[in-house]
Amino acid sequence: MMNRGEIQERILTVGNQLGLHARVATMMVQAMSNYSSQVTVIKDGVEVDARSVLGLLLLAATPGSQIVVRAQGPDSVQAIEAICKLVERNETDHN
Amino acid sequence: MKPTITDQKETGVASVDFENQTNLLLRGIAVSGGVAIGQSVVIERLTTEIAPRWLIALDEVPHEVQRFETAVHEAAERLKAIKSQIDAHHPLEDHAYILDTHILLLKDRMFYEGTKKYIASELVNAEWAVSETIARITVAFDTIEDEYLKERARDIHFVGERVLRILMGIASHTKIHQLPPNSIIVAHDLSPADTAQIKRDNVVGFAIDMGGKTSHTAIMARSLKIPAVTGLENLNRRAQTGDTIILDGSTGIVILNPDPETIFRYRGLRDVFRKYQDSLMTFGRLPAVTRDGRRSVRIMANVEFIDEIEIAVNHGSEGIGLFRTEYLFLGRKDLPSEAEQYEAYSRVLSYHKPNPVTIRTLDVGGDKIAANLNVPHESNPALGLRAIRLCLSRKDLFKTQLRAVLRASVHGNCRMLIPMISCLSELLATKEMIEEVKSELRAAGVAFDPSMKLGLLVEVPSAVAIADLLAKEVDFFSIGTNDLIQYALAIDRVNEQVNYLYDTLHPAVLRLIRHVASVGQARGISVAMCGEMAGDPVNVPILLGLGLDELSMHALAIPMVKKLIRSISMDECLDLTRQAFEMQDAREIHGFLERWIRDRFPHDYFVETPGASA
Repeated sequence: MMNRGEIQERILTVGNQLGLHARVATMMVQAMSNYSSQVTVIKDGVEVDARSVLGLLLLAATPGSQIVVRAQGPDSVQAIEAICKLVERNETDHN
Repeated sequence: MKPTITDQKETGVASVDFENQTNLLLRGIAVSGGVAIGQSVVIERLTTEIAPRWLIALDEVPHEVQRFETAVHEAAERLKAIKSQIDAHHPLEDHAYILDTHILLLKDRMFYEGTKKYIASELVNAEWAVSETIARITVAFDTIEDEYLKERARDIHFVGERVLRILMGIASHTKIHQLPPNSIIVAHDLSPADTAQIKRDNVVGFAIDMGGKTSHTAIMARSLKIPAVTGLENLNRRAQTGDTIILDGSTGIVILNPDPETIFRYRGLRDVFRKYQDSLMTFGRLPAVTRDGRRSVRIMANVEFIDEIEIAVNHGSEGIGLFRTEYLFLGRKDLPSEAEQYEAYSRVLSYHKPNPVTIRTLDVGGDKIAANLNVPHESNPALGLRAIRLCLSRKDLFKTQLRAVLRASVHGNCRMLIPMISCLSELLATKEMIEEVKSELRAAGVAFDPSMKLGLLVEVPSAVAIADLLAKEVDFFSIGTNDLIQYALAIDRVNEQVNYLYDTLHPAVLRLIRHVASVGQARGISVAMCGEMAGDPVNVPILLGLGLDELSMHALAIPMVKKLIRSISMDECLDLTRQAFEMQDAREIHGFLERWIRDRFPHDYFVETPGASA
């Protein structure tokens, strides 16, 4: 089992047509309420709280850009997994 | 954008009467097509610029913070109440998430904690702290280049205004859920919460001062099919509730207080547009045959998720030109089983029977799917171990997919498409594996369609160059323009530094397509196109002129493309193609084709391409 204090990290490519947009950011923040780990998202050296919609939007992560998700806490692996699912799926959003 | 008054030739507006302000013409951004004629309902809206400012004593800080927290709580409750009114069948149900976004923004630490800190550090009232915090966040958004993300500054603005209104005890503006019939909403800006409350049966148009193509009002208007113009700057101050307004959501023109003659003319235009929209769906059901009957093209849909098949069929697809199988593999830890894949492929095939369904084998890099593939890190994944290269190196994975496709092939008209082939030996190795799987199935007594067609996705420039060698080994070609263009022009189209160079109509791209088409004709195999290029009406005449047999596109584009093909003759297509091949660069070619289509179909082409970028 994972050490509780260990930092988990994963590099992701943003898959949505619009990038990390309002809907995905909203879903991410909502999803994070199920986890207790501290989770941040990093792009181009800027690190923001994965529980802040504004922070996530300000990353300006356009489609195809790479982000790093960093988590620390008892459920860090699951929290990262949840974010992966939201960020990497290449859903076509016709809005 | 300043309101301008232009002459009759350009706008069809007869004259301008300055005294009575009739026929006042404004130009904005066309964001949702169609013509609306109605009475304006001006929505007054508080702006944060007028938030009052006063200083507070240190011991008043807790009270001021408390005021702010209470206001935020109340704002959240109101937003939740609005959201609960949107039931599952409301046409905006799909957009209701934005109200969730606003609820989250209220408690977002940048806003919530930021405002409280501002009160405490600057010793000011809550109103001023809110307005300053919003201003700071807005400044941060200003630096973003992406238009869609930049627009999101509006969202925090709406949220801030809502809190301010509560703090200042201002009642909500005009009750927009009680509107007279034929209303055109005129507003400085409209929040998603406002839009959600609108009784849409009575609204025929939106004229908004702020915002662009990706504002939420624009997005919602498009999904409600209500004409809308944004970016009007100050119509909100010029118009009064009850004024007659003409709004052309296809050109961005808004006419305030039009004279009867102008109204008459625009009524005609409105009816043309409505008929056009109705007729489009009819065209979906008709075959795509040129006006002179000389050429018929099969129009198919690109499908990414299995749920999209129904939309494709409704819009008149005559088969699936590209069924992407990646979704089965992505976002999971294990690999999809043969049974799971068989089930998915069988469903698509039987749904579309007897029309062909083109199943593309796995087209991703190893880094994208199941971690247990253990693919080493690549510095240049686009040129790395992906698609057929990955499949040939991971035979277990590929064989499972081949077995699933072959077994499913008995349920319909199945074709298999192999991506990213760059040399003959790769294709031969692939065919060898298919034969191997076939003989295994035969030995086990499992049924499959022995005549299943095999196609090659032409997307690597080397495959274009050796098309004659490859043609002998396959039943059809399908040109994948998205990747072909990237590889041929050496441009990553998601790289903002260079994507301005990504040109669908680059003379080199047209020559590559021409070569593949002519090899296909000489060798007697059909040539399809399944990239985004095929779904843009501007490109369609030239694709016909080059002799493509099948075009596969986003389902929503099908009716329009079919209508276009049925309206043009082969002579026109050939003539356009010949002229385009004499031109020097992409810009010239694009301008030429766009002008032609606009002149030829002045009433049709103002419809934006559905499913294009947001």
